[in-house]
Amino acid sequence: MDIEELNDLIERHGKALYGFCLRLTSNRADTDDLYQETLLKAIETRKKMDGNRNPKAFLLSVAVGLRKNQRRKFAWRQRIAPTAEYSDEYNAIFTDESPEDALLSSERRRQIQEAADRLQDKLKIPLYMYYTAELSIEEIASALRIPSGTVKKRLYQARQAMKKELEVESL
Amino acid sequence: MSDSDKWDRMLRQALASEAGPDERLNRNVIHRYRERSEARPKGRKRISIGVLAAVFTLLLSVSAFAAVKLLSPQQVAEHLGNGPLAEAFASGDAVEINESVVSGGYEITLHGLVSGAGLNGLEDLSSDISPEKTYAVVSIANADGSPMPKTSDPEYGEVPFYVSPLMRGLKPWQVNIFSMHGGYSETVLDGVMYRLIECDGVEMFADRGVYLAVVGGTAFPSNDAIAYDEETGEISLRPDYEGAAALFELPLDKSKADPAKAEAYLRELPKEPEEKETAAENDAAALLESKSEEMATKSAERKKKVPEGTTILESVQKLTPDDRGRVHYKYDVWNVTLTPDLFFPEGQTGDYPFQFSERDGKVLALVFTVDSLGDVTGKVVELDP
Repeated sequence: MDIEELNDLIERHGKALYGFCLRLTSNRADTDDLYQETLLKAIETRKKMDGNRNPKAFLLSVAVGLRKNQRRKFAWRQRIAPTAEYSDEYNAIFTDESPEDALLSSERRRQIQEAADRLQDKLKIPLYMYYTAELSIEEIASALRIPSGTVKKRLYQARQAMKKELEVESL
Repeated sequence: MSDSDKWDRMLRQALASEAGPDERLNRNVIHRYRERSEARPKGRKRISIGVLAAVFTLLLSVSAFAAVKLLSPQQVAEHLGNGPLAEAFASGDAVEINESVVSGGYEITLHGLVSGAGLNGLEDLSSDISPEKTYAVVSIANADGSPMPKTSDPEYGEVPFYVSPLMRGLKPWQVNIFSMHGGYSETVLDGVMYRLIECDGVEMFADRGVYLAVVGGTAFPSNDAIAYDEETGEISLRPDYEGAAALFELPLDKSKADPAKAEAYLRELPKEPEEKETAAENDAAALLESKSEEMATKSAERKKKVPEGTTILESVQKLTPDDRGRVHYKYDVWNVTLTPDLFFPEGQTGDYPFQFSERDGKVLALVFTVDSLGDVTGKVVELDP
């Protein structure tokens, strides 16, 4: 792979990959590490990649694998709540809302993110692949090497678990 | 908008990618990639995993470019506690193959096989080995380099694999590892899954053309993955199969073929339905599945009974590692060699049920005990009925 191809990969999939890594690690330092290691590992093993695999799905599957291996290394780093860093970006999305509504949305967003983070990996990873990295069901199935039906089931279970938790919290 | 759609929209907004990598980070990735590329000697061909495995086997060393260190069939057999079979794989009659295929996100490697003459004399060392059988070692690794689930992980077995010899001219759903009285042992080492399969000897079919099929996503013969041409007898992989699939042609010595023996053998095989997909085959698959589950349940139940079992005092042996770090246990019909460092997780102490045997109405368990000093004791325990 030459530099141009690498640049192209970063341009097309870098944001989705970075966002996904941020969900997995919840702090910027670990995200930066995981993002870099994923790209470098993916480049190294790219020649082994089956020609039918979606590059984005392949990148995410490498990130998941690296994350599992490096969990111990990352554990000692203090978690920094991402919402404090990125709140300006959040507010820019909801321009039609009043400041009060924007605040409520921001709080709700934080609750949803925390509920997602509390899920077990089996449910959390397909959830992030679907909503954060915007992979299709088939792409998630390919990345995780599980049947599409299993992906749908896990997404359903994740959504139900979070819905139940958030409904309880709001009482 | 329905509630479900509203909830989906909320999730999409809340979990959307919040930020992208900054320019500095991307520049760093490119810089590191450039450094690594420049560090590699120019013009050197990237070494394939298949060649690496062969080099490792021959020279007991690993190239600096190896992403995964693969074991030899001999080492896999040793790890699975079959010393005599390990000797067979080390013999001149073993066929070393070391061929790899990447498919469906997995790297599948056929390491080697041994049958017939390579097993002569070893049946005296272990009742589990027979010269009438064929043994082969396959490894399956994730193509992206991430480790396969360990046998203790909950994800282990979630993606099943079917590994079977197939013969040209013989229907894959009729003549396969199940009908050929086969079985397998499996282990995961350094993130790579190794499977040692055994079945009735395939050498007699050497003149027909013999394959080893590896199919991911199923534990049973799969017509979704394997195509059979009824006219020519050719066996091939279906290109539209979504899971992992590999078909290795076995380099058998055609002079060892025995058509008469093969015909007699085929006549004795259990009669399977002619139709590819019939209710009878589905029943057979369901029966096999329930038998596998039954065996897994039985094994789990037996393990629970070990602490209350009665130790056969004369079977207790404190095991001393040899100069290769292996321990050997021999008592009655049990004859096991294993490498404690590979078998027991570091720091683990306590009893480890290894094998079960059912004889004369009794169930016996071979149990290894590891103490706090890492010393291993072997013993046989009779379980309560």
